[in-house]
Amino acid sequence: MAGPPKGGPAFSSMIWRYTAEHSLKILFLGILCAVSVYVFVFLVSKGLYIPSVMSLIGAGSITYVFLSEKRYPIRWLIPGLLFLAVMVVYPIGYTFVSSFSNVGTGHMLSKDQALEQLLERSYTPDDAAEYTYMAFADARGDLALILEGADQMILYVDGSATDIVRTDPRLIDEDSDGTADRFGDYSRLTTPQIVQRLSVIEDYRIEYKGTIIGLENLNEFRTRAPLYVYDEEAETMRDLRTGIVYTSREGIFTASDGKEIYPGYKVGIGLRNFVKLVTNPQISGPFAKVFLWTFLYATLTVLLNFALGLFTAILLNDPFLRFRTVYRVLAIVPYALPAFITILVWRGMLNVHFGVINHMLVAVFGSGARVPWLQSAMWAKVSVLLVNLWLGYPYMMLISLGALQSIPGSLYAAARVDGATWWQRFWKITLPLLLMPLAPLLIGAFAFNFNNFTLIYLLTEGGPAIAGSATPAGATDILISYTYNLAFAGERGNQLGLAAAVSVLIFLIVATISAINFRMTGALEELSKNV
Amino acid sequence: MKRAAIALLGLMLLAGLTAMASEAGRLLIWADDSRAPIMLNVAAEFTAVYGVDVEVQEVGFGDIRGQLATAGPAGEGPDILIGAHDWLGELILNGLIEPVVLEPGTIADFNPVAIDAFMWGDLLYGVPYATENVGLIRNTDLVPEVPATFEELLVVAKGLTDLEAGKYGFLIQQPDPYHTFALYTAGGGYVFGKDASGVLDPCDIGLDNAGSIAGATILDQMVKDGIEIAGAGYGEVTGAFNAGNLGMMIGGPWTLADAKANNINYGVSAIPPIDGNAPGVFVGVQGFMISAFSENKVLANLFIKDFLISTDVMLGLFIEGDRPPAYLPALGFLTGNEDIQGFAAAAATAIPMPKIAEMGSVWDSWIGALELIVNQEQDPATAMQEAADEIRALLGCE
Amino acid sequence: MYSRHTLLGSAWRHGIVLLLCTFSVFPALWIASASFNATNNMQLQQLIPSNPSLAHYRELFTSDRYQYATWLLNSLKVSLLTSAFTVIMAGLGAYAFSRFRFKGRRVGLLSLLLIQMFPQMLAVVAIFLLILSLGDIFPWAGLNTHTGLILVYLGGAMGFNTWLMKGYFDTIPRSLEESAKVDGATPFQAFVRIILPLARPILATIFVLSFISTYSELFIATILLRSNSRFTLAVGMNLLISNRYDNRWGMFAAGALVAAIPFLIVFIIAQRSLVSGLTRGSVKE
Repeated sequence: MAGPPKGGPAFSSMIWRYTAEHSLKILFLGILCAVSVYVFVFLVSKGLYIPSVMSLIGAGSITYVFLSEKRYPIRWLIPGLLFLAVMVVYPIGYTFVSSFSNVGTGHMLSKDQALEQLLERSYTPDDAAEYTYMAFADARGDLALILEGADQMILYVDGSATDIVRTDPRLIDEDSDGTADRFGDYSRLTTPQIVQRLSVIEDYRIEYKGTIIGLENLNEFRTRAPLYVYDEEAETMRDLRTGIVYTSREGIFTASDGKEIYPGYKVGIGLRNFVKLVTNPQISGPFAKVFLWTFLYATLTVLLNFALGLFTAILLNDPFLRFRTVYRVLAIVPYALPAFITILVWRGMLNVHFGVINHMLVAVFGSGARVPWLQSAMWAKVSVLLVNLWLGYPYMMLISLGALQSIPGSLYAAARVDGATWWQRFWKITLPLLLMPLAPLLIGAFAFNFNNFTLIYLLTEGGPAIAGSATPAGATDILISYTYNLAFAGERGNQLGLAAAVSVLIFLIVATISAINFRMTGALEELSKNV
Repeated sequence: MKRAAIALLGLMLLAGLTAMASEAGRLLIWADDSRAPIMLNVAAEFTAVYGVDVEVQEVGFGDIRGQLATAGPAGEGPDILIGAHDWLGELILNGLIEPVVLEPGTIADFNPVAIDAFMWGDLLYGVPYATENVGLIRNTDLVPEVPATFEELLVVAKGLTDLEAGKYGFLIQQPDPYHTFALYTAGGGYVFGKDASGVLDPCDIGLDNAGSIAGATILDQMVKDGIEIAGAGYGEVTGAFNAGNLGMMIGGPWTLADAKANNINYGVSAIPPIDGNAPGVFVGVQGFMISAFSENKVLANLFIKDFLISTDVMLGLFIEGDRPPAYLPALGFLTGNEDIQGFAAAAATAIPMPKIAEMGSVWDSWIGALELIVNQEQDPATAMQEAADEIRALLGCE
Repeated sequence: MYSRHTLLGSAWRHGIVLLLCTFSVFPALWIASASFNATNNMQLQQLIPSNPSLAHYRELFTSDRYQYATWLLNSLKVSLLTSAFTVIMAGLGAYAFSRFRFKGRRVGLLSLLLIQMFPQMLAVVAIFLLILSLGDIFPWAGLNTHTGLILVYLGGAMGFNTWLMKGYFDTIPRSLEESAKVDGATPFQAFVRIILPLARPILATIFVLSFISTYSELFIATILLRSNSRFTLAVGMNLLISNRYDNRWGMFAAGALVAAIPFLIVFIIAQRSLVSGLTRGSVKE
């Protein structure tokens, strides 16, 4: 905010603007606090305590920042930070927490959900009775059911079951067709009307003389016996039909002979996922090889893409080049098409016998020129770099074009006056001034490609397979594709907790490498220069 | 700035709508694009009779499982979903589906293989409607008669193959265990063996037994003889077939639509006996399942029993999906359909695709082995042995 | 930096650029070929199909199962809105990082970068539950709404975008704002009236980058959008190819090409701002 307004004819308008701005801010903060209180109460009512506290803290910090002069710069960051915190940081936290649990196939549900399902299960006892039924509803929509079994009739209304006889005076047959049309104030429902209320009726558990009766299908009720009984203290499930007791062991109810009841639920297992990753021979065996290729690929692809992208940008930045716009649009085409289809097209083009690239090579150079693009380990790696070059150089061209605009033309004019050649102008002016804003992005591109699961999955699926290895690692597998595969393929598949641990570990690796990169390239040095 | 904020708020309010989820009193069905149209017709019928809303939501076939795992427990899943029987292990372990209740009379109206595919223990977890398996598909202009034995087939193939001219005699898409399985089973190969009580034993892996190795050796020989070439995936094989450049291939009903569109005269038959033994192929079954998180289970059962299990609906699904119906009355209508009869012949010795969740760990290593064989980088015996050992390690067997 | 070309200079420049453009466009030609080809195959042998047909294109706009036109509009709406807000939020943040000195600045910048490096493949579950809960409080921003989707996408607004903009702002001399401050302008006014016009090139760049990343985003959109009429292009077209074998590549190819047109239009408009030369005339050096 501006300091005390200076004198002059602008004084009154200054005051007016000051007050208006100020009141807008107060209004905004007021609404924010009101909303956050509403959200807090709502979340608490749902039992989500941590998010409710977080939302209060969030609203509190925003209010503080907007009222404190010292924190003025942070006001500029609030919108972006808010979204970053909720949409990016929170999922990271969620993934991080998942890495300490065994969530995966067989353990997808929470304990409550699993218990709910298991306790819902019932079986039909040998002495089960079947009942047809009539349904009635009153003006308010409340239901009354009359069940008719072999020996008795049961009236179920307002949650309680009582005996009733066919001659009960409340049963009125209005049109004398032998079936009751009304029961007291309740009128009989037709089948479509029953169907519309099926979801309500199917939830009824009618307790009658020690048995429980539930809806079996549209036409009948049947006694059911719950299959399990749960002992909360001992954390056991007893099968009431067989008498076997299952104890909860790491989220699955297991009997003494090893038999398990499904579904299980997710439980925390501490660092076990991480230990598994580090000690699993399937992972530690090829780790060095896969890591080396991942690092090499990420570095090479960034350098290649940047080189070609920058080269293209310099060419297309030339105001004297005619049809510049047309060329730019053509060059950016790889960026305009979804990777799903373009990578598959490349896969087809690189096919050793059927692909068009080999067709052209053979047509020109003879059949000796057939390149095993995706069949041999070395050429597959080349293919990965080639396809990623095609995919990535437009992005590099785009950011280079943007950054090139920030270099003042006067610098070049002065250099030319001093007699510098084109090459010297590039190395001494263009490149250094570009690297300042772009270096962090290049490091970011390195990190992105380090984790570029999509490309590997669609182009080579990690292959070609390597002979003689004891693991399914392929020649072009990168760290993330290989380890995710194991998490989703190993044991019963979909070990999400393990995959989360993989994400955490890979993040640590990439972040460390990037931090080292920052140090080495001095990309943060300019920060300290500006401080 | 203020005006912009108000306009924005208004825009956001306009943009909102409540989510779609299993709600009491109406049904939500998840189906992919080939089944959605039929479902819409049936849904309309159901609503007309009972006045209950039925919503059909298109979800990609490959996405249904994943979305169900997230959306179902959160209360945002469907009531009925359409899926494949080999999903059963995973879905049941995660508590995502409910058993379906059918009368014995109704069950008898279905292909027993299909019913068996959807059984888990002694409960039925889905109502099957289509079976699919691969068979031998040949271009009848290039190969007028079905070869009597597999050995004869290879001879015919060799005669038709001219790599320079881009002509092929016989191709099995690679690396693809599903399509290659027939070679393995003829000699007695299998994936998972059964234990004493007839349940699949994930630690009894038969991919490196004598029959499997014999099958892998056949593939290896095909490559050495120049019949099978590297890089022949689904697109390449069907592309060549539809261009009239391929004599025979192993394929399923899904390949026929394109062949017809390209005016290729084709014939479907069982795969000829290998070394005197009839090869078994994987059979996959598709069916309707009920979500465990549905709020309308009885309603869903009613929908399936009274409206989906009918000859009309089953035939409608066949017309859209080209797959043989599992509902016998519908199948009876198709005795004149040669394609169906051909696939049925191929399925005479069919083996249901294993539905235990451990099956997911098998594919990668098997694919790798096939790749090494086709690229001639490893001999078939070692390749299969290493693959089987890898799988045992992945599953923690010893 | 540039000078007039000689004839030879012009020739080789155009030559190289044409080569690069061919490299860029060649695979797209195959996609075009697949879109005119009756079979649903991506592994084609010839560039010019033997029986070219417009069937796939026709189906795109007449099919009632695949509401392509609706999806296209949805995608445009989501992408344009997200990009606009992203430019604003990233710009505000970048200006603060560039011009102000405050505690946590260095750490903040570094963390922004490092946070982007976390593999977000498992994030979809967390985001699904998040938006689900959000929808309970504010129904217009919950599951199956475009608002919810845009809110999720805005999480990525600060990140590399901020870095890129900050680097650009750093090259604009402070003297311009100093003189504005003398005239009594607040930092915000200086930002809007002086810096933003000068920063048009980088704003355009960020807009394009943000547009394409949300335009083709698949995973989050798939888990959040649940009804056909609300799908974005990416989600809708993915339906065409999510089967194991019988995928409709012809229609997908046609859809991909038509979908590229709006992006190219956005790019053409935006790249006009990529003009070199910052006006330094307002400052007496």
